[in-house]
This record gives sequence, structure tokens and C-alpha cells, in this order.
Amino acid sequence: MSPEERDHESAKDRYIDQASERFEQSEEYFGSSTERSEEIGYEAIDEYGVNELHKFGSVADPRVAATGMVGVRMHDVDMLSTDDFEDIGTKGMDLPSEGEGDKPMALWRQMLRIYLSNKLAVTSTIVLLLIVLGCFIGPHFYVTNQTDANAALFQPQNLPPSAGHPLGTDSQGWDILGRIMYAGQYSLTLGLFAGLITIFLGTAYGMVAGFFGGVLDAGMMRLLDALLSIPYLFLLIALISVFGNTTTFLILVIGLTGWWGNARIIRGDALLIRDLEYSQAARSMGAGRLHIIRKHVFPNSISNIVTVGTFSVADAILALSALGFLGLGIQTPATDWGTMLTGGVDQLINGYWWEVYPVTAVFVIVIVCINYIGDALRDIFEVRLRER
Amino acid sequence: MLSYVVRRLLQGAFVILFVIIFSFSLSYLQPHGALAPAYILCGTHQTTACLNEYINQFGLNKPYFVRLWDYLFGVVVHFNLGHSYKQNQSVGQILSIFIPRTFWIAFVSLVLAVVISLPIGVYQAWKRNSVFDYTATGILFVMYAMPAFVLGFLLLSAFSFHTLHLPNSPPEGLHPWAMFTDPVSFILPIATLTALSIAGLSRFMRSSVLDVLVQDYIRTARAKGCSPRRVLFRHTMRNALAPIVIIIGLSIPALLSGALIVEEVFNYQGLGYETVQASLNQDVPIILGITIVVTILTVLGNLLADLGLVVINPRVRIEGSVR
Repeated sequence: MSPEERDHESAKDRYIDQASERFEQSEEYFGSSTERSEEIGYEAIDEYGVNELHKFGSVADPRVAATGMVGVRMHDVDMLSTDDFEDIGTKGMDLPSEGEGDKPMALWRQMLRIYLSNKLAVTSTIVLLLIVLGCFIGPHFYVTNQTDANAALFQPQNLPPSAGHPLGTDSQGWDILGRIMYAGQYSLTLGLFAGLITIFLGTAYGMVAGFFGGVLDAGMMRLLDALLSIPYLFLLIALISVFGNTTTFLILVIGLTGWWGNARIIRGDALLIRDLEYSQAARSMGAGRLHIIRKHVFPNSISNIVTVGTFSVADAILALSALGFLGLGIQTPATDWGTMLTGGVDQLINGYWWEVYPVTAVFVIVIVCINYIGDALRDIFEVRLRER
Repeated sequence: MLSYVVRRLLQGAFVILFVIIFSFSLSYLQPHGALAPAYILCGTHQTTACLNEYINQFGLNKPYFVRLWDYLFGVVVHFNLGHSYKQNQSVGQILSIFIPRTFWIAFVSLVLAVVISLPIGVYQAWKRNSVFDYTATGILFVMYAMPAFVLGFLLLSAFSFHTLHLPNSPPEGLHPWAMFTDPVSFILPIATLTALSIAGLSRFMRSSVLDVLVQDYIRTARAKGCSPRRVLFRHTMRNALAPIVIIIGLSIPALLSGALIVEEVFNYQGLGYETVQASLNQDVPIILGITIVVTILTVLGNLLADLGLVVINPRVRIEGSVR
């Protein structure tokens, strides 16, 4: 990008900033005259005249202004707001400013910079990393018996937090702090692998349907509709009572039932990218289908793949916990957070809070962190926010 | 419009057909495959005589397609979903007891969830990036992250064990109208199920309203000098409502999954409770029957949502399609 172009771009950025400021001001102004304009309604045009009108309507929405100015495709705005767990995400985020005359930044550095400027995401990442490390490395420092159920039964049961057991013991005599780490290993590993399966299947299915289109796409989408209308948990139970609940099957079953929503999102992406100019250009130059999928469609839908994949891991951990509650999860002496909580909630009536709240806190923090990270990843990939 | 409705009906029929075939094929995957019922019914004394008796009785050694056809024919024409392995009843009889029970709690919760989450989502979008928006988002994220059963038990602990002393379980017995004879005992299950749906629904509503807020006609309305209130209720809400109706339809499977957990937590015998019991007993016909019925309920719910959309959105009426 030439220096002139870059100046031009930064001028645009400045314009957008000013525009959104003006918008905020106009809204303040607007708020004060609510009652008046309520009464007069449409006649405001005549009454206020052109200048006043300018204040109201010049920039109805900063995002629309941004779209108009920078010339981003309307689709980007759609993507920005249609998604279910979506945030505009620009607020509180330092848009990278233009460097003076130095080399254009590498893509991954730009992404990293946007990610690091999102404080919520950075906090979530650190907290999540700490919990993961705690679960996998913690047991080496805080050694407890987590595998011998008989030995555990000789330990004091339902013991409140004390020096020997920082978080107490549960009704089976397991030390709860150690148990949280041990269960976390299962929850996190299973969630990760099941999430990977869902994202792999979802991507493959969505890419094929979206890229080839036509009858194949229609057929595959109807099939997806059918699968999506089966209530998830019922199917999960049906599959597990047929296949059994070893660790491998749990991963497979959760993975095999979780990818339908992903496929739909990826398919939308593939359908769109297939018809964009660069894909058409590649096609006109004689590129094969596989080449276009590999070099154009896949790299350009990676944003949704990664984002959706992140949410899938959270969903897989949640699904595993539901199965744990139903007694179909991991079998004792191994355990996961859901199974552990199931034992704990039974003790709530006795007031043994330490068997419930610590696990719940860890569990909820992990899921919330993963979801916030997913949100931030979506922001990263959002082309509009990136330095050009 | 008529063609749209007919197309949706055909799609629904296809989905139901698919699920029946899918569920039936699933039963071939259990240990011993097609012969599994005989093995399960014979239990510990799996002599050849016992196995053969059941194999002949149910025709288990017939080819896959013959059995599939019989099953399909039975389900579609006679609503015959097979016979339970463990309870001496047909699956249809068992389900006819449980369907209304689950329907009531799911229906009431859905209505409540919509009524509560609609204003939250709309206000969040209207005042986006405000303190309210961030707080609500945070709370909803936590609610979304909480396992359903933990939420149920926490409510139970708070409002049944420690304060208020609400009943911790709906009454025993299988009366489908229990909901109306003893409404107090349904407060906690329904509150849990409602809370489960709110997180997702209000999030959808927020983004649906956001979608509308960036449209040109909203800018025009503002430019013409409409008051914010008028912009919100006249221009935004009307247009945001259409996607919301679809979303309500699409949230039914999640609602029923939530109902499964809630029934289990509060010991309420409904479809979910029965599914779990059946799965612990390896009573595959019941599980498959429930999966099919629950899917049919979902498809019907979606159809209703689509028809509601026809009423609300003139574009569907005229063009015969959404978008």
C-alpha cells in the first residue's frame, strides 16, 4: 500500500471517529427533545429546518457510516450483527493507529495486537490457562489419592475446609481440591477432542455443501434440518445407551452430535466466498475445485471456523456435564466436573456448600472464559477492524 | 403463500420420516445388532431356545428393509411405536401419559421466557455498550455457562431448603392436569426451565434488534424526526419480530433438552425422565419412540412458528419465502 493510500485510509478512520462522536452528541441532544418530537412526529422536518435535521440524521449509526466510508461489503455488517453471540466489539478497543512509514505489519501481528487490546479476552485467556495448568500440573504439587475408591472411603467424609483439606472432602471421602483438578483433566480433554471432532465434521460438511451448491447443497441442508430438529440431549442419551459410555465413545458421541450448527455457519461462508471475485478469478484461470477450496474458500472462512470451534469446546464440556448428571458420563473412580457436581448437589440440603460452589465456580469460569475468547477471536478476524 | 405453507409441510414430513428411519437404524448398532431385543429379554439365561422364541416372535431375523418397512408402516399408519422391553406396555401407551406432562412445563416456560427475555434483549440492543448492556451480557453469559442441573439445585436450595420452603417436587402420580391442581409445586421446575431459555433467547433478540437498527429505514425514520420511542416501537420492533418468531421455533429442541434435565432434577415424570429411566434399563424401543415423538413435537413447533411468520411478515405472504 502506497503512503498516499495509507494517508487516505487514516483520514477515513479519523472521519469515522468524528462521525461516531457526533452521533453520540446528537443522541444526547435527541434525548432531551423526546417529548417534543413525540408530539410533532413527522412534521419535525419543517419545524427544525435543514440544520437541525442534519443533527438528527447525518450519521444515524457509526457502523453504517463506517460501512459507507470505507467501502466494506454490506455483508460484513450483516455478519457483525446476525450472529447469536455477537457484539460490536469495537468499544474499549484501541483501533491500531497507522504507523509512520514503517513496513506493513504481518497479519498475525495485527491480529495479536487487536486481541491484546481486548482486555476481557486477555483476562479470559490468562484465567483459562491458569485453570488448565492447575488441572494438569497441580496434582504433581498437591498430591491426593484420586483413583483408589476404597482408600478414599477410609478418609473422613463431608469434612469442611480445613488445613489438611483446603476445600474439604466429599461424601465418598475424596479430597475436593484434588478432585477438581482430576475431574478437570477429563472435562477439558474430552471437551477439546469432542470440540475438534465437531468442528472438523462441521467444516467438511459445510464446505462441500456450500461450495458445490445446487441439488447437493439442497439435499445436504434438508438432512441438516432434520438432524437439527432432534433434541440434542435425547439423541445423546439414545446414542450412549446404544454405544456405551467409555471415554472414547463419549468423545465420539458428543462430537458426532454437535456439528450440525457449525456446518450451517461454515456452509454459509463457503457459499458466499465461492462467488466472490477472487474465487471467480482463480476459476477463470483454470484452478481446480480442490485448489479453490484449499486456497481460497478455506482460508477465508477460517475466522468462523475458529470462532465456532471455540464455542463448540464450551458446548461439549456442558454436554458432558449434563451426561454426568444423568449418570451416563465418566464412571467412578474417574470423574468429570459434571459428575462431581452431581454428587455435590445432593449434599446441598445438608448445607455442605464446599461440595458445590468451588466446582461450580471453576466450571462457570471456564465456560465463560472460552465464550469470551470466542467473541474476541471473531473481532480479530473482522476485516473491518484490521489495519490495511 | 399457499405454496410456502405446503412446502413447509412437506419439509416437516420429510424430517419426521428421516428421524424415524434414523432412529430405527440406530437400534441396529447396539450390541447383538438386530437381535438385541431377544438378548435383552432373555436376560441372564440366554439359551438358544429362549433366543429363538423371541427372534421368531418379533421377526428379528427378517432383512433390514422388511423390518424398516414394517416399523415405518406401524408408526405412520397405526402410531405403533413398538413394545417396551421392560414394562409390559406398548410405547404408545407409555408416551400418551408423559407427553402432556412435559408439554405443560415446556409450554409455560417458553411463554414466560419470551415475555421476560424480549424486553431485556430489546433494551440491551437499544442501549448497546451501556452499563446495562454489559451487566446483562455478563449475567446471561454466566447463566449460559451454568450446567442446567446446577441451576435447578441452586434454586431448590435457595427457595425450597433455606427460604420460602416451596415444594421441591411436583406431586407424584401421573395425572396430566397436575399443573393446574397444584400450581405451587411447579414454580421451581418452571422457573429453572425459564431461566435456562432466557440466556439464549434474549441474546438472539438483542442481535435481531441490532440487525434492524442499522437498516436504512431506521436512519430515515430518525432523519424525519421520529421520537426514539416511535423509532423503537413502530420501526424497529415490528421488523425485529419476524426473526424472533423463527428463533422461538428453533429454540424448541433446546427447550426440550432442558426439560429433560429439569424433570430429572425435580423428579417429575415426563418424557425426559422416562428417557433416562429407559436408557438405564436399556429399553431401546422407548428411547427411540421418545426421540421420534419429541422430534415430531419440534417439527410442529417450527411449523407453527413459520405460520406465525406468514401472519407477521408481509414479505413471506407476497414472495412466498423468507429473505
